[in-house]
Amino acid sequence: MKNNVFTINNLNFHYGELHALKDITIDIKQNEVTALIGPSGCGKSTFLRCLNRMNDLIDNINIEGNIHYHEDNIYSKNYDVINLRTKVGMVFQKPNPFPMTIYDNIAYGPRCQGLKNKAELDTIVESSLKKAALWEEVKDRLRKSAMELSGGQQQRLCIARAIAMEPEVILMDEPTSALDPVATQKIENLITELKENYAIIIVTHSMQQAARISDQTAFFLMGELIEHDDTDTLFTNPKEESTEDYITGRFG
Amino acid sequence: MTNRTHFDQELETLKLDLIKMGDLVIKNIDESLETFIDMNAQDAKKIVKKDEEVNQKEYDIEKECMRIILREQPVAKDLRLITSVLKMITDLERIGDHAVDIAKLTIFMEKSNNPFFVKEVYHMVDVSKDMIKLALESFANQDLTIAKSVVDKDDLVDTDFNTIRTLVAEAIRNKNIDADYAIYLMMVAKYLERVGDHAVNLAVWVIFSITGEHISD
Repeated sequence: MKNNVFTINNLNFHYGELHALKDITIDIKQNEVTALIGPSGCGKSTFLRCLNRMNDLIDNINIEGNIHYHEDNIYSKNYDVINLRTKVGMVFQKPNPFPMTIYDNIAYGPRCQGLKNKAELDTIVESSLKKAALWEEVKDRLRKSAMELSGGQQQRLCIARAIAMEPEVILMDEPTSALDPVATQKIENLITELKENYAIIIVTHSMQQAARISDQTAFFLMGELIEHDDTDTLFTNPKEESTEDYITGRFG
Repeated sequence: MTNRTHFDQELETLKLDLIKMGDLVIKNIDESLETFIDMNAQDAKKIVKKDEEVNQKEYDIEKECMRIILREQPVAKDLRLITSVLKMITDLERIGDHAVDIAKLTIFMEKSNNPFFVKEVYHMVDVSKDMIKLALESFANQDLTIAKSVVDKDDLVDTDFNTIRTLVAEAIRNKNIDADYAIYLMMVAKYLERVGDHAVNLAVWVIFSITGEHISD
C-alpha cells in the first residue's frame, strides 16, 4: 500500500455562482503518475490548482471540503502556503522561463529561500538539470538566456526549476500541448523517470498520453469526478458509460 | 448520435467479415464429415482447396484489425472488440484446419466395405456447428446470455465423444469394424471434439469483449 500525499474529501469549489467542482473525493499516492482527463471546462485544471492553492489568487471563490497534504488540511487557517508551494511544484501549459540566464532560472527558488553559497547553488543547478534530462544540452551555456532555448528545452527547464525546490509533488497542466512530438516524447520519458521520486499529477487532453504515462486516471465531467481507477482498467474496461463515451471519442 | 461514424462503420464491417469467415468454416466442417461418411475422396480434395479461402480471410481480418488499431487507437470496448476479433479468427482458422484434417483422412482412407455408422458423429457436428453459429450471433449482437450458453453446450460434444469411443471399442472387440476404419473414425471424433473446444474459445472471447473479463474454462 503506497502512502497518500493528498487525501481529498468532499471538495466543492465555486467561482461565484459557478459550481466548478462537485463533491470530489480522491486520494493521490506517492510515486505514481495520476492523469486528469475530461473535456474543456470539466474542472480538471481547477482541481489541479486547488492542490497548491493557486486558486487563492482569484476573487469571489468559495471552497468547501478538505484537502489534506499528508496530515495537514491545506485550507486550514494559518497553513503555510509558501511551504506548500515549495513541496508542490507546478509546470504550466506554455513554458514560462524567467527572462534571465538558464543558471539563474534554476537558482531562483533556492536563492529566494536564502541560499547564497555558490558551490551549493552550482550543485543544485547541475542536479536539477540532470534530473530534468536537460544538463547535457545546456551545460556549456548556463550563462545564456533561457529565452534562447527551444520550447521543449524551456519546458524541461521549468521542470528543473520546480525540481530545484526539492518538491514532493509536481503538478503539470497540459505540459506538452505546446510542444512538438519529439519534445513531447522527452517530457513523457522524463515524467516516467521522475515518478521514482515524486508524485506527479498531470492534466492532459491527450488520451493516448494519459494511457502511456499514468498509473491512475481520473475522469472529470461538468465538475464531477465520474471515475477514478488504474489507468489500464479505465482504458480497457471503464465502469461508467460517460467515461466509455469520452475515451472512445463518442462523447457529445 | 456518435461522432465516430466512420469508425463505427469500420467496426461493423469487421464484425461482418468475422461472421462471413465463420459461415465458411461451418460449411467446411459440415461437408468434411459428409465426405468422410460417403468416403468421397474427390469432394474431400475440394475442402482442402476451400480452406485456402478461410486462411485468406484470417489474413485479411488480421490486417484490418492492425490498420484500425494504428489509425483509430481504440480503447475500452472498442479495444476489447478488436482484441477479441484477433483471437477469434485464430480459433476459426483452427476449426477450418480440422475440416481439412477430416477431409485428408477421407483422401487417405481406403474404401471400407464395412463402414460403421455411429449417429453420435452427426450429433457432434450438429452441436459444434450450432455452437459456432451461436458464438458468432452472440458476438454480432453482443449478447452475453447466448455466449454463455455456448460454453455449456460443450458438455454435449464431450458426451458424444465418450459414447463413440465406447461404441468403437465394443465394435473392435466384436470384430464388427475394420481396424483402419475404427482408427479413422476415432480421429474424426477427436477432431470434432476439438472443434467444440474452439467454439467455446470463441464464446469466451465474446464474453471478454462484452464484460472485459475472462471466465475460467
